[in-house]
Amino acid sequence: MTFYESELKRIKNAVYLNQGQLDTVIGTRRYINSNFDVALNLNLLSHFRFVSKFHLLRLFKKYYGQTPKQYLTEMRIERSKEYLKKGMSITETCFAVGFESPCSFSTLFKNRTGRTPAEFQKRATFTKPV
Amino acid sequence: MKARIISIPVQDQEKALSFYTGKLGFVKKIDVPLSEDSRWLTVVSKDEQDGPEVLLEPSPRHFEPAKTYQKALFDAGIPYTQFDVDNVQQEYERLVSAGVEFSIKPTEMGTVKIAVFNDTCGNNIQIVEML
Repeated sequence: MTFYESELKRIKNAVYLNQGQLDTVIGTRRYINSNFDVALNLNLLSHFRFVSKFHLLRLFKKYYGQTPKQYLTEMRIERSKEYLKKGMSITETCFAVGFESPCSFSTLFKNRTGRTPAEFQKRATFTKPV
Repeated sequence: MKARIISIPVQDQEKALSFYTGKLGFVKKIDVPLSEDSRWLTVVSKDEQDGPEVLLEPSPRHFEPAKTYQKALFDAGIPYTQFDVDNVQQEYERLVSAGVEFSIKPTEMGTVKIAVFNDTCGNNIQIVEML
């Protein structure tokens, strides 16, 4: 067994022993993945996994290092880049990824990517991959 | 400051280019000759050509400590770096049928699934899928 294999085994036993908790966070992440485009909140997510919302928040952060909200926001931004590249309008993109206000979407987008959706789209159109 | 490049030490740049593009599916982005036997050589993910570049760096050939470090990591089975994939099992099967050797078969590690292969240029590389 290599050093790396024994380390994997050690970490698995130290961190990933509680299958019930793993099922909860993995289930929650998958639920977010397939429902990112609708209004999601912690109440809904915790109801769906039958756990208290504060417990779910702690668990998700413990295993993924991010809160469900941070994860959801990142996922929406990533998806919005794909839509913008395809030429979808900024307002359409905003609603298609589950955000509610095109104005705050633009601000958030710029905050995360360094460009406004309009700038991003313009640039993407001029540098189409081969 | 922006993170644009990750570098991977390779023993042979030409061989590395052929492995990273031919087997793994990256595409060549920058290729600039720097001296007789080394180039500034980067590849990018085919689906994310404006994303981070992987620099295939000939350090083990030119700098002895780099070679020593690379070999120590390799012998311990430790991945030099990791790449994201959508499905570890599928990628594992695709690469095995292309003749790539794995030191760790697809294994679940809590919230991720991983596998580790030999890049034939002196490194173990891990692929990872979020569960």
